[in-house]
Amino acid sequence: MQSESARASSAVEARFRINAPNSRPRAIKIIALDRPSEGIVKRLAQQATWGNATFLTALAGTPAQGEPFSMTGWLGDLAGHTKDLLNEINGADQVVMIATAGEPLDAVSIIGEACSLKRVMTTALILSPPSAPDEALSRSLTQLRPWSLMLVVASAEDYIADMLVALRA
Amino acid sequence: MLRKEQNDLLTQTGPGTPGGRLFRSYWIPALLASELPENDCPPVRVKLLSERLIAFRDTQGRLGLMDEFCAHRGVSLWFGRNEESGLRCPYHGWKYDHTGQCVEVPSEPDESGFCKKIKLKSYPLIERGGVLWTYMGPPEKQPELPEWEFATVPPEQTFTTKRIQESNWLQAMEGGIDSSHVSFLHRGDLNSDPLFKGAKANQYNLRDSRPVFEVVESAGGLFIGARRDAENGNYYWRITQWVMPAFTMIAPRGNHPVHGHFWIPIDDENCWTWSFDYHPTRALTQDEVAAMRDGKGIHVKYVPGTFRPLANKDNDYLIDRAGQKAGKTFSGVEGIAMQDASLQESMGPIVDRTKENLVSTDNGIIMARHRLLRTVKALMDKDVPPPGVETAHQRVRSAAVVLPPDRPFVEAAKDALIVQAGVAHASV
Repeated sequence: MQSESARASSAVEARFRINAPNSRPRAIKIIALDRPSEGIVKRLAQQATWGNATFLTALAGTPAQGEPFSMTGWLGDLAGHTKDLLNEINGADQVVMIATAGEPLDAVSIIGEACSLKRVMTTALILSPPSAPDEALSRSLTQLRPWSLMLVVASAEDYIADMLVALRA
Repeated sequence: MLRKEQNDLLTQTGPGTPGGRLFRSYWIPALLASELPENDCPPVRVKLLSERLIAFRDTQGRLGLMDEFCAHRGVSLWFGRNEESGLRCPYHGWKYDHTGQCVEVPSEPDESGFCKKIKLKSYPLIERGGVLWTYMGPPEKQPELPEWEFATVPPEQTFTTKRIQESNWLQAMEGGIDSSHVSFLHRGDLNSDPLFKGAKANQYNLRDSRPVFEVVESAGGLFIGARRDAENGNYYWRITQWVMPAFTMIAPRGNHPVHGHFWIPIDDENCWTWSFDYHPTRALTQDEVAAMRDGKGIHVKYVPGTFRPLANKDNDYLIDRAGQKAGKTFSGVEGIAMQDASLQESMGPIVDRTKENLVSTDNGIIMARHRLLRTVKALMDKDVPPPGVETAHQRVRSAAVVLPPDRPFVEAAKDALIVQAGVAHASV
């Protein structure tokens, strides 16, 4: 007689797996941390119909030099409207931060703090073309590591779309 | 999540499929050399990439790997007589040499030259590191011979086994790059398995069960780094190598041998899990080899006379619910290899990836799929040779290192991630 495991793992039995949704859409905030990443995020937003993904940029509302960071009124959407950081993070299941190796990442610590406060999972993705110098990547890593629970270094932006699809964004 | 057509593309490796063409770009392990131990020994059935083949070592020691079935009436040549420099079908005496060329058809006059018109499809078979390797792609694209370090160190420094896994290759391989499962599924084994215990690194693992992951593209595939806090503000890194399409190498521990796997499709619902252990600079000890033979570390015990694990789906993997409850094992299944295989087989022969819900820590798997899909497309559309074919991509090592907090591990551990002759692997 076949064991339970042998029968249950057969192709025949696979036909009886319940065919119903097993998850609800996740709210994912994709935030560009620098100018080149802003262009990438804009292209991504137009590339597909995303379920529950929100594309944002950290550039809008960046405080002038010398002014203290504020957690409010700090992000911007792609149309240029200011968004409240804590409100955005509050409604998020996950935050994906997009950075370009060597670019200034002033916003990362404040976004990271907000995510930490709200217990929201953070992923950072650094685009580092093969030509990027090691020091540039090193600078980005130093800034991103304390605030990222998962960090990906990719050579081309097409990975980001695949990652978002895989995460059901 | 993958769409169905993407899942099909990566999981189907038979002749004529895009995934099959990918695998047919590489030298892949086909048999252990010990399966053909001497000249004129019995032939061995081999199924690879959904092709039924027969392997034999002829009177002169030449290795043959060819279509399993006689061109005459379709008899399996597993019944063949391996003698006088060829394999003879016992039905009507047709005989084939190691290239699959028919050299005798007893019913036809020699002068007719009939036998020259008969040739079975065959593939090259070479021996390296105790493994017989084959290349199943077009002859004009045959790459250089494989240069994996485990297969090039002296024989006393390396030990390789294989086992049947009753699932598609991809879900098996993905277990090899899924670093985040170790803290759960294998948590009982770090301090008890003779091939793991005693390393200083185990303390880092046990102190910090929630590592932070970094995934970085490499020339041949991926580096997957798992980072934990070490002393003085430094980080302890465990760096796994994935080389396309099906090679994974796990970070070492202490002075234990370093180990890894190949995941080679038998057909779309079964694969060979090849498991190797080696030390770059010293012979394996008798105790280490005895432990490996006893199914410790990443190896298994077998159903006698087979490559099927002793704990398998037909006996419910010998699950020990009392041991699971007592915390001896996390899943109730004993041994690292079968802890993985039992769960991967439970997904079904080919897991339906349209239903999965990946999370951020699965980025190693997501990136591997991304690279595989793009590589297959480039191969099919533009005939671009895939990563992992070049021998430079094969001369790599996994590593366990302590590094300053601000350095990219790929750059800081650059020397540790490639083979350096005469230098031990980087381990903690």
